[in-house]
Amino acid sequence: MEFPNPPALPFSKGGGRGDLSKDPMTNNTDGKSNISRRRFFSLSLGLAAGVFIPSFKSPLSASENQVAPAYPQFFFAQIKYQGGEWDPNPQFLDSLMEELELRTSIRGVKERRVITLSDPDLFFCPLLYMAGKDEFDPFTPKEREILARFLTYGGFLLADDTMGAKGFGFDRSFRREMSQIFPDQEMKRLPPDHSVYRSFYLIETLGGRQKVNPYLEGITLDQWTPVIYSQNDLSGAWARDRFGKWIHPCVPGGEAQRASAFKAGINIVVYSLASDYKKDLVHHPFIKRRLNL
Amino acid sequence: MNWNHIVIAPVFPFWVILVLFLLGLALTVVQYWSIQKRLGHPKAILISLLRLITLSLLVSFSVNPSLMVRKEEKIIPALAILVDHSQSMSLSGQGGKNTRLDEAKALLLEGEKPLLKALRERFEVKLYAMGDSLQAIGESELSGLKAIGKRGDLNDALEKLGPANSLFLLLSDGNVDWKGSERKAPPLIGVPMGDPKGYRDLSIKEIKVPPIAFRGRPVQIDVVIKSHGYSGITVPVILKNGDKILTAKSISIRRSPGEEVTSFSWTPEEVGSLPLSVSIPPQFGESLTLNNDANVTLKVYRDKIRILMVSGSPSLNYRYMRSAFKNDPTIDLLSFVILRTPTNIINVPLQEQSLIPFPVETLFMNELKNFDLVIFDDFFCRPYLNLNHLESVKEFIRGGGGFAVIGGPNFFGQGGYDGTPLGEILPARFAGNEGYRRDRPSGVKLSRLGTTHPITRFSFDGKGHQNLWQEMPLLDGINLLEPKSSGTVLLETTDGMPRPILVVGNYGKGRVLILGTDYSWKWYMGMLAQGKGNWAYLRLMERMVRWLTRDPSLDPVQITMPAKRGEVGQEMGVHIRVKENPSSASKKMVSFSVFNPEGTKVVSQIRATAQPGEFLGSFLPEKGGIYKVKVETAEGHLEEFLAVAGAVEGLDGVPNHEHLRTIAEATGGEVLSSGKDVLREAESYSGRNKEHFVEERHLPLWSAPYLLPLILALLGMEWYLRRKGGMI
Repeated sequence: MEFPNPPALPFSKGGGRGDLSKDPMTNNTDGKSNISRRRFFSLSLGLAAGVFIPSFKSPLSASENQVAPAYPQFFFAQIKYQGGEWDPNPQFLDSLMEELELRTSIRGVKERRVITLSDPDLFFCPLLYMAGKDEFDPFTPKEREILARFLTYGGFLLADDTMGAKGFGFDRSFRREMSQIFPDQEMKRLPPDHSVYRSFYLIETLGGRQKVNPYLEGITLDQWTPVIYSQNDLSGAWARDRFGKWIHPCVPGGEAQRASAFKAGINIVVYSLASDYKKDLVHHPFIKRRLNL
Repeated sequence: MNWNHIVIAPVFPFWVILVLFLLGLALTVVQYWSIQKRLGHPKAILISLLRLITLSLLVSFSVNPSLMVRKEEKIIPALAILVDHSQSMSLSGQGGKNTRLDEAKALLLEGEKPLLKALRERFEVKLYAMGDSLQAIGESELSGLKAIGKRGDLNDALEKLGPANSLFLLLSDGNVDWKGSERKAPPLIGVPMGDPKGYRDLSIKEIKVPPIAFRGRPVQIDVVIKSHGYSGITVPVILKNGDKILTAKSISIRRSPGEEVTSFSWTPEEVGSLPLSVSIPPQFGESLTLNNDANVTLKVYRDKIRILMVSGSPSLNYRYMRSAFKNDPTIDLLSFVILRTPTNIINVPLQEQSLIPFPVETLFMNELKNFDLVIFDDFFCRPYLNLNHLESVKEFIRGGGGFAVIGGPNFFGQGGYDGTPLGEILPARFAGNEGYRRDRPSGVKLSRLGTTHPITRFSFDGKGHQNLWQEMPLLDGINLLEPKSSGTVLLETTDGMPRPILVVGNYGKGRVLILGTDYSWKWYMGMLAQGKGNWAYLRLMERMVRWLTRDPSLDPVQITMPAKRGEVGQEMGVHIRVKENPSSASKKMVSFSVFNPEGTKVVSQIRATAQPGEFLGSFLPEKGGIYKVKVETAEGHLEEFLAVAGAVEGLDGVPNHEHLRTIAEATGGEVLSSGKDVLREAESYSGRNKEHFVEERHLPLWSAPYLLPLILALLGMEWYLRRKGGMI
């Protein structure tokens, strides 16, 4: 497993979030401190006890409202394969991980680990990420066997076609490999009620740098979808340069489309860690009410 | 001599005898012709006649004549007096002063001329006590006879005593077993005891429960109540589990005598062997109140293990545990994952969020009783749960619930559970200020106790088992714990000073566990990477759940109770199976104790059977009620309850004189109404059935002592006449 030096952050950790001052969700261009805003929201949420967090009043101690220190729980492991271009958007990680930390309880690290399919550490990766534009060389039988074992027994793979040409380039190679690894399973469009659309945000359409498909595809085994595939170049929408500027414009939807890509990214990460948690009956009435079903 | 008394039994066929006789006659005639010329006609006739008589006598021996002598003799009639001393004879008799047995004793032994003495003058009397068994007793034992035990078996008594007796006298209240009899038995005179009109009683005749029940599912319990002497009243019927009242209802007693059936629908909330009882309060004027209670045990199983899991954040630990639980059909999982903390900022309106409120109040104050196990997975509880919630969890555990804490960085947050109600009951505490370490991976190994504990011992191959754990992938993060004295360390780190990773303990009736890492999922994927499958992780999770919830499948000891309900005075057998390492289980290592309904230990035995690890425990219940059976081994112990029917439980004590009449009439006897003279009636029956016997003897005539001299005399006279005639 390689640990490439992450691009130098333009700001400190706190400042790192500042690059989201142009909040992809809100398109807010206000450059004021996000920390104070975050604290403001935090306090507001605390005071609005009962909506999502039942109660912050606890008789235990005065310092109890502080949360536990952050420790890494999640990282991206990107597959380095032969042929084609395995790393079309090398700078996608920071913004997504910052968004993940800002919005969710997941403690991730801005650490992209590059891994080959023959690496024994592959089985310890919470999320395998595979991106590309062009066709790539077929996996070896050994690589296919490892990937099949990993995915069949609980592993997770997010594939991102950054070119978005159906039947060509990366799409062609990736579908070929999936049909080899799962000969009895077909890559299918994930239905609107799939847990990945509901794991954190309620998503009805899929964003990205481009809008080839308004949906995700995947291979589902029983209740678990170990392979999720996008052709909208999600990482292109997440990619940001060292100065905090978005590298690619999102077309045709602009920043709303980028915000949607971030929502999808968060939902995919949450799904990779919580599985079909949102399919539990306890969630049904809430989700139905919110979706006016 | 009466020729009718002579009987013959020929030793040869008649025709042979006839031929012999004719031969003799022919010889005599030939002799006559040969000697008449020399001796003259008269002498020849005389000699031939003597010869013919001699030959005829000899031939007649083959007819085997004998004289039959018959002698007729009368005998004294034998009378068997059966005194019923079953439990119902202890109830009040006529007038309510004495018991029915006392009445019977008084009838036989008291008065100016005691009946027993008078009967002895006319009969050959034998006394029998009829209860659980039939016993011959002497007169002296009669006065000390006590009314105990089950109703007697009259069929058995008549079959045993019938051939030797000509008359039975039964002193009973009619509560005897009688199935009718096709065999001819001597007449039975019934002497009824007790007063049916003065008897008043309500009794629990029967409790009908299903053989097994499932927790959380209603179970129907039918109760049959018998009434005598009460009608038009309403009485409460109470269903209890041990001392705890489960439910009660009122029923109307409509007729007397009669039976009422009432049903309880009750939902058991705990698993195991439950000691249930049904009771009716004693009523005014009730003759017998001890049969107002009845006991029964109900075996309750859980259909599913219900788990409440709260995870501090989405994580691989959560996902793999969830997968393990969801794929187990015996587990019902309700999980809540904290998707965002108070510091996270949500940037979309409610309609675009899938987050739901965390219903802490409902879950932790009202619904905990509906779960078997609560798991906090890397969950920093303080922002979410207040002191009352934590106290509620503590109570849940004390009451028998399971509680597991899965470690991680959040677990340690703000001192973890230290200083909270849960901190007191967890089997380990944090070793220092640093609660979580992620700087260097740690391997794990089984502790000494871990090699034998049901959670971590997957097989009896100790070495292979230890190797399995040492092959497990390293843990990237662990909580730095130290066990409390109440904790048992099962897994510990292999580096440097061993640190506990898996610690278990008990609190109240419940069990607690800490798995001090959020990287146990690596035991799943790491073993998969090595091509060794995911079974070890899945088995660990399954065994953790089953141990925490006291699932019987993981109990080192299993007890099989007798299928039939116990009865006082009958030995009860309990089959014991020691699952853990049965090869090393010996009688000395298995302790078997039995406690009676008052909680006093009673005498019991245990012996090994031919099967390894299997034992048979036994004891003799001396009173009715719920007995507790406790089996202890080095690996653990198990308690079960066993219902033993009381001596009067379900006893229908009403004097059943009609039953007595039916029996008496079936044998040709009668039931004596009050005032009738027992002695005269007995004499009357013995007179009708006067008994005598005839002695018949056969005296063989040919063996008579005078026959031989007679034959010799005849031959001698013949010889003399011949000699005198000059023929010799």
